Amino acid sequence: MDFLNTLEHNAFSQWVTNSPSAWAFPTFLFLHTTGMSIVAGGSAIIDLVLLGTWPSLPVKPLVRLYPVIWVGFWMNAITGTVMLCADATAKLSSPDFYLKMVFVFSGVYVLHAMRKTVFADPQLDKGPVPRSAKMWALASLFCWFAAITAGRLLAYVGPNKGAIGG
Amino acid sequence: MNLAHIHLLINHFPTIGTIIALGLFLVALVSKSSDLRLASLVLFFLISLITLPTYMSGNAAEEMLRGRTGVSFAAIEAHRNAAQLAVVFMELTGVISWFGLWKFRRQSSFGRGTLPAVLLLSIVTLGVVGYAANLGGGIRHPEIEDSDAKKIPGAKKVLVVPEQRVVVKELEVGGISDFVTDHKWMWPAFQTLHLMGLSLIMGVVLLIDMRMLGVAKNVSFRAVHRLLPWGVLGFSVNALTGMLFFAARSAQYTTNAVFQWKMALVILAGINALYFTMLDDAWTLKAGGDASLAAKAMASLALCLWVAILFCGRMLPFLGGAF
Repeated sequence: MDFLNTLEHNAFSQWVTNSPSAWAFPTFLFLHTTGMSIVAGGSAIIDLVLLGTWPSLPVKPLVRLYPVIWVGFWMNAITGTVMLCADATAKLSSPDFYLKMVFVFSGVYVLHAMRKTVFADPQLDKGPVPRSAKMWALASLFCWFAAITAGRLLAYVGPNKGAIGG
Repeated sequence: MNLAHIHLLINHFPTIGTIIALGLFLVALVSKSSDLRLASLVLFFLISLITLPTYMSGNAAEEMLRGRTGVSFAAIEAHRNAAQLAVVFMELTGVISWFGLWKFRRQSSFGRGTLPAVLLLSIVTLGVVGYAANLGGGIRHPEIEDSDAKKIPGAKKVLVVPEQRVVVKELEVGGISDFVTDHKWMWPAFQTLHLMGLSLIMGVVLLIDMRMLGVAKNVSFRAVHRLLPWGVLGFSVNALTGMLFFAARSAQYTTNAVFQWKMALVILAGINALYFTMLDDAWTLKAGGDASLAAKAMASLALCLWVAILFCGRMLPFLGGAF
């Protein structure tokens, strides 16, 4: 608990939490929301195309979305860590937070797995989308939308609920 | 010029605008002209966009009338409830109209049920809008009050005196507002849906931008165009959840400058979406081709607009003094 207190009470974390400036907590929250939209939106596009049966839309070029998705992911990893440190004792004793982390890391794993299996398949775009690819797509949609839900609920459940800017 | 004034100005669009659009649409149906049909659908879509700030400025007008004498609040409430229903039908008409524009771009036909659906929806919309508008006229038009005011359900000429301000607070409670605030889980649930909707929008915008700015060139824009309905789905979910937030807690939005910016940007983004839905410039982009400067500009504009909209939304509790 001491370590968590240190995280929360260092100068930077205190600035993030307590500063009335819009550049503090609100900006980290905004960047986090933007990163979320990039990751969830980008992967949703890939998933929806895989799940659809449109022959005119090739799947392979969508692999170019991956770098953008990873940019969004790292934006969120950094801003998320900052916001976590600023509220470490509350967040790390909230089951909802751990649930969110499970969904986020599962989502990352699924994205990696899709890159290695679906996008590496030489038969991609040469025939109908295989069932395994559709299963991966469903899993990805589920993980990211569950992560969004768990993340949104952080302002409403657990200790310190409703603390800052619901 | 204040928000009430703006309401009195732009409320002409959902009313007169719909009459003109429907008239044009009927001519288009009879004449079998595709161009006229496209024009009518565009009109319905644009009117559905401007209906949103029309409704919201109406709320602002209501707030400005509090404390005034000679105004019937029962009339305002009746008008507002009818307007809520009118917004629902207007937005439905707008979405189906957009779908018709999208289908026509792809197949040079509107799809089997689209035009009948638009016809039916627009007629119902006109009816509900007309009813709402008539109720609106009964709020403070002394020159017609004898004929119409008595027809307002439950209305009396209530003089609003300061003690009655307590009653005014209840205006936000009732109907949709009650529905949202009575159940504590509703607000976070709608916020979550709002985030999912914005993610869908952002995904589609990212894909369009990628293609227009030269990444993934081996995709034709036709293929990207196929995904636009998902973006519109995201937009529809957000318009719906947004209206629910607004109806439940209008006071924290109407005078919030950040929220006003957000709505203005949303209208611009809606018009930007028409560019990618309909115009030849984007449509003719083949696999391997370079997008025109205009298309690149519109794509970049889309990204800037939606990030700015996200910014405004996320900053509502911090910059606008809401909540």
